[in-house]
Amino acid sequence: MDLSLNEQQELLKRTVADFMVHECPKTVLLELDRHETGAPPELWNRIAALGWVGMLIPQQYGGGGNSLTDTAVVYEELGKGPLPGPYFSSGVLGALTVLEAGSEEQKRQILPNVARGSQILSVAAQEPARKWGPGMVQLTATPQNGTLTLNGTKLFIHDAVAATHLVVAVRTQASQNPAQGISLVVVDKSLPGVSARTLPGFLGWVCEVKFENVRVPASAVLGQAGNGWPAFARAMEKAIPILCSYQVGGCEAVFDMSVEYSRTRIQFAQPIGRFQRVQDHIIHLTNHMDAARWTTYEALWKLDSDRPAASSVHLAKAVSSEGYYQACNYAHEVHAGIGISREYGLTLHTKMSRTLYQCLGDPLYHKRRMADALDL
Amino acid sequence: MNFEVEYTPEQEAFRKEVQSFLKVNVPAGLVTTAAVEAITHEQYLMQRELGRKLGGKGWLFPTYPKEYGGGGLNLDQTIILEEEMDQYGLSLPPYYNSGGNLGAPSILVWGTDGQKRQFLPPIFKGEVRVWQLLTEPGAGSDLASVKTTALRDGDDYVLSGQKIFVGSNHEVDWLWTLAVTDPNAPRHENLSWFMLDASLPGITIQPLDLLTAGGEGGAGSGVKNSVFFDDVRAPASALVGGENNGWKVATTHLELEHGGGGHIGRNRLWERLLHYCMTHELDGRPMTKDQDIRDLLMDIYIDIEIGRLFGVRNYFLTHAKKARSYEGPQSSMWRKSGNLRIAGFIQKILGYLALTTDPAHVVEEGHIELHQRSAIVGLHPGGTVEVQKLIMARRIGIGRTVREEAGRLA
Ligand SMILES: Cc1cc2nc3c(=O)[nH]c(=O)nc-3n(C[C@H](O)[C@H](O)[C@H](O)COP(=O)(O)OP(=O)(O)OC[C@H]3O[C@@H](n4cnc5c(N)ncnc54)[C@H](O)[C@@H]3O)c2cc1C
Repeated sequence: MDLSLNEQQELLKRTVADFMVHECPKTVLLELDRHETGAPPELWNRIAALGWVGMLIPQQYGGGGNSLTDTAVVYEELGKGPLPGPYFSSGVLGALTVLEAGSEEQKRQILPNVARGSQILSVAAQEPARKWGPGMVQLTATPQNGTLTLNGTKLFIHDAVAATHLVVAVRTQASQNPAQGISLVVVDKSLPGVSARTLPGFLGWVCEVKFENVRVPASAVLGQAGNGWPAFARAMEKAIPILCSYQVGGCEAVFDMSVEYSRTRIQFAQPIGRFQRVQDHIIHLTNHMDAARWTTYEALWKLDSDRPAASSVHLAKAVSSEGYYQACNYAHEVHAGIGISREYGLTLHTKMSRTLYQCLGDPLYHKRRMADALDL
Repeated sequence: MNFEVEYTPEQEAFRKEVQSFLKVNVPAGLVTTAAVEAITHEQYLMQRELGRKLGGKGWLFPTYPKEYGGGGLNLDQTIILEEEMDQYGLSLPPYYNSGGNLGAPSILVWGTDGQKRQFLPPIFKGEVRVWQLLTEPGAGSDLASVKTTALRDGDDYVLSGQKIFVGSNHEVDWLWTLAVTDPNAPRHENLSWFMLDASLPGITIQPLDLLTAGGEGGAGSGVKNSVFFDDVRAPASALVGGENNGWKVATTHLELEHGGGGHIGRNRLWERLLHYCMTHELDGRPMTKDQDIRDLLMDIYIDIEIGRLFGVRNYFLTHAKKARSYEGPQSSMWRKSGNLRIAGFIQKILGYLALTTDPAHVVEEGHIELHQRSAIVGLHPGGTVEVQKLIMARRIGIGRTVREEAGRLA
């Protein structure tokens, strides 16, 4: 057994951490928080040039061909910001979806651009008034003379405004089994009839996307029509632990803030960290952080070593989502007044923790799926 | 025992009187919005106007003595007033006035006859709005360690220092504060309590950018500020309760702020949530018929009912002048931590919908999204959850035979 990162991973971790300290200090993060996509082109291009967007894309398609664990090392550091932007949506979920679902030609066409950052993907699956899962995909794509016409609304799509291309889950056949009859269609966002806007509120870079008579060639369907969901499910299984590692990074950041504050904030002539009630908050926070960390690392290891990983992936997502959410709550209790001041930086995490709690299925969904994966 | 408020024919007549008064005097354009920070000045002036009209009848501070401009009304009449205001989504007063709500009872207990005559009628009649200025950058939970000084100079006190997380937006007439009057005296014996005219030279108000400072009932503060005192000269008559006796004065308003006064009224958050779930569908059926959602709704209901009963109990204890001990901080603690739990349950029910204010998807005009933020922010004002626990422990007598007593209310 060896639970440590290897040398290259340690080096990578330090490189990304350095980048974050120098290029994305709190002042920059507060600006990004007000930015429409969270990723101004200049920053996006620099990070893509560093190879951190295309890490999971195999070398023959212009990516780094890294393992999931390598990639998670990077996302954990980005999560500490938290650095917003379509890094995960495009470089992880989008790229993996194309890899799992696309034909050889489609992979050759799309993935090098994704790795380079010149194409930005966002997978659009969820729809209004539906629970997460294949049953939510109802958007219609009508075939006609070698084209498909899309009509309908996708809701709560991460980074759709930032994206240049959407991978849209559409229902091409009605079926008893909701996971059948779904196709994944690559839609150029500049096509007439496509509109995306960011939803305001206590959430970040989550969008509504509308399709009004959007016509794409039949060749825009990734791989085989009707077989989209199983491919997307395989992509999610690999992508989710990367999202979890981002949440782990978030936990670590609010942990650091809270421990530091407990040492420096003086009330009743002593550091507040001397009060057992404050200690309790940070101890609960620590437990959430470590639970998120180790469930995530084990899921990554299982996937990287080709072991069956389904229950571990669901475990990691349920635990990390709840963990990041609760870690932020505890951090707020520790900080009291100063923590709700936007310029302090804690609320960037609080907002992110709420947003990611829902992303790719909430904890309740993953607990259900975990029970299935455990054959209960 | 009787949990029901029963109304005599006289009281029902009073309700009619209140109803017809509000029908005439609540302006049509007075809205209660989730975006309290965005309340326009015009809206604010309407709230104040209504406040003055209520004050003119003694209904703004209904239980307070008539001789100072209060209503001299009893518990049942007050309940009627609050219920009828609540029909319009308003509370008493219909705007943020923490300094009046908490300052007036403190003056009633600790002020001289002259001070009562000077300060109370304008508050009770709604002529002034008042903010409380306690917290400082270095003094939150440890309020007794405030550093703002008020040093005697002839017939005046000269104040310097900084307060934080205080007040609201739009205007303010009076401010009250705690400041050090004897820098050499021991803790708790060095402070005095001042009621200040907000227009005194040397007072600067600077708004803060917070996650929110909103709340329910149209009385959420909307905005919090830093307030700076730069050599502010106040007359000696502004000092209430005796020099270096400020900590004792503070026990009265701290007791009230810790929930000792109690609360009655409907829970609008619950009503809104239920309304949404009954009128919207998930996977093709009403949300309230989904078993997961039913479970979560009942978790919320339990939390709210316990909180309601704690509030009703405290309201009864206060107005029936019964002995109280840990009940105030208990109710406050329950409300604070309960709201955070409830926010979690609500996100489980509504998902992303709980988080957005987008006009096309917003739930209940933004009140649900606001609650997601105010549940976090609300943990801190008036003493954190930990501070409530601390006070409960002292008053229950955990580990000590001498129990601390509850603060004195009028
Ligand atoms: C929305 C809002 C409105 C407010 N309105 C007003 C207002 O109108 N007027 C005003 O004067 N103030 C106001 N405040 C300030 C509020 O009263 C303080 O934020 C609060 O008392 C906590 O102080 P603090 O923020 O300095 O936290 P701190 O006191 O620094 O607390 C930090 C942490 O230490 C813990 N802690 C401190 N002491 C102890 C102890 N002895 N035992 C165990 N744990 C301890 C706290 O619980 C917390 O977890 C408002 C605050 C907010 C957020």
